[in-house]
Parts: sequence; C-alpha cells; structure tokens
Amino acid sequence: MPTNTYTPLATITLTGTDSEIVFTSIPSSYRDLILVANFAHTANAEEVIYLRFNSDSSNGSMVGMRGNGSSGASYTGTSMFFSYAGGISTSNGNAIVQIQDYSATDKHKTSLVRCDISTLKTEAMANRWASTAAVTSISVVCQSTPFAIGSTFSLYGVIA
Amino acid sequence: MKLIQHQELSSSQASITFSSIPQTYTDLLLVVSARSTTGNDAFVTFNGSTANFTSRHLEGTGSSAGSFSRTDNFAGWFNASGATANTFGSWAMYVPNYTSANNKSFSIDSVTENNATTTRQFITAGLWSNTSAITSIAVSTSGNMAQYSSATLYGVLKGSDGVTTVS
Repeated sequence: MPTNTYTPLATITLTGTDSEIVFTSIPSSYRDLILVANFAHTANAEEVIYLRFNSDSSNGSMVGMRGNGSSGASYTGTSMFFSYAGGISTSNGNAIVQIQDYSATDKHKTSLVRCDISTLKTEAMANRWASTAAVTSISVVCQSTPFAIGSTFSLYGVIA
Repeated sequence: MKLIQHQELSSSQASITFSSIPQTYTDLLLVVSARSTTGNDAFVTFNGSTANFTSRHLEGTGSSAGSFSRTDNFAGWFNASGATANTFGSWAMYVPNYTSANNKSFSIDSVTENNATTTRQFITAGLWSNTSAITSIAVSTSGNMAQYSSATLYGVLKGSDGVTTVS
C-alpha cells in the first residue's frame, strides 16, 4: 500500500463569496505545510491577495517573478503575498504554498508560492515572515474583491 | 500524496500515457524526467484531447527572461536530442480538482538540464477549457520520448484531521 506523504488537515469549498480564508489550530506535529488553492477571483482592477501567519499583517517581505504572456517582471514587497500581480481575471487559478519548518521557534518562516491564472499570469514568489513564533494559523486575505463561490482551499501536513 | 503509477520507457515511444486514472483523489501531481529524440517542446494531453488548451509562460534562458502565451497544448521543454548526453529534463505538473465539473487549471514547472549555454527554465499557468473529469493524461514531445524517460503520477486527497479548522 503506498504511503501517504501528505496528511490532510482541513479543507473548504466556498458556498458564498469570501474575502478571507483562515486555517486555525494547526497542529505542530509536522515538518512542513502545503496549502493548495483552486480559485476564481473576479477583480476589477489591480488587486493583491495577502498571505498572513498568526493574523500578523506586519513582519512580512517577499520577492517574486511573473510572466503575463508578453513580458517578465521581478519585484519585491513588504508583505507576504499569495498573489501579487493582480488584475482582471474570471477564470480559475491555482496557488500552491509551501511553508517550511512552520513550527520551529528558532527561525523566521519562509514560504514558496506558485500562483497561476492562465488568463492573467504565471507567478513564483518567496515570502519571509520575520518571526520565530510557530505558525498556528494561516490567512489568505483578498485586498478587496472576494473569492468566488466554488473556490477550494486545502491544507496538508508533511512529515519529515 | 499517494503513488498511482510509475512508468519508465525501455525504448523510445511517442508518449507516456496514464489511463483509467482513479477518480478517488482530489488533485494530481505528475512528475516527469524526459528527453526527446528531436526537439525540446513538451506537450500534455487530457482525455486524449489536444484542444481547448491555453497557457502563459515565464521563461528563463540563463541570460534573459521572457513571457509568452500559447493556445495549444504546449507545456514547457524537455531535453532535446542535442543536449548533453545522458541528461534528462525535469518537469512537474499539478492539477487541482481534476474530477470537478469546472474547467481544469494546472501549474507546470520545467527545466532542461544541459552542460552548455543553451538551457531553459519555465513556469507555466495552464487551462484546459473542458468540464469533463480527467481520466487520462499523456505527455509527449515534438519527436518521441527517448529511452529511459520516466513519469510518475501521484494522487492527493483532501480531508480533515479533526483538529485544524478553516473558515
């Protein structure tokens, strides 16, 4: 029997629009966390989607790169992002967030994000949360326009 | 994540295909190590269809970066026949909600391995505008998939541990 290497922790499929998805009470017994999202986000203008740990909207930074189908770009930010390059999008997108050593109390927390919306962009980012606290909650926060009905968000734990 | 199937080619052939994919998982991860018998282009097929694919790509060459869109089933690069001998490109595709009744979005990361100045790295945002559940996936290239190319399909199943909450 194949070994399950991703332990499912929690999942949600939106039955109404929602601007903030929050995972709480995350156990500390895994090495890494993986957040997988399949979402629609109908924005009318350039909008970002934030990634936050333990509800902290400070202490974040990032570097990212994006291809929009005509040019590439690289950028930095002073928050953590789930999606940085926003814009008008009506199709489903994917995001995969990998959070390494999330429960460690001797280091800042790094995460890698791939966020793809085929009608808009392909994007890769590296985030840093400048805190040595263990991550016990993860929030995905829309700047303005909420996630659409049917969007899914699933969290997995990875055992070392 | 659980292993569904692994394939390795004992001789070159047109594609590596996974058929009768179980519908019991939430997402799929396909990891490929591949070399082409001719050119670099990689292609993906869902349910035998090459239609209704769109994608956006970010490409790095080692000296420059660029972006382009495609309206076919192009899916990055594998190592071409002229690449350094015995080297294979690395390629991974994640397909969330592959059994849903929505159009299927997917993410691809690929890189060619070449001990030379010509190499490529891609990240790709893809969309298959088809509401059918995915029951088969094939990867192919502009020529044939070379001997020893391999592919591994994994299933990921969502759920709850009874402790973590989400709202």
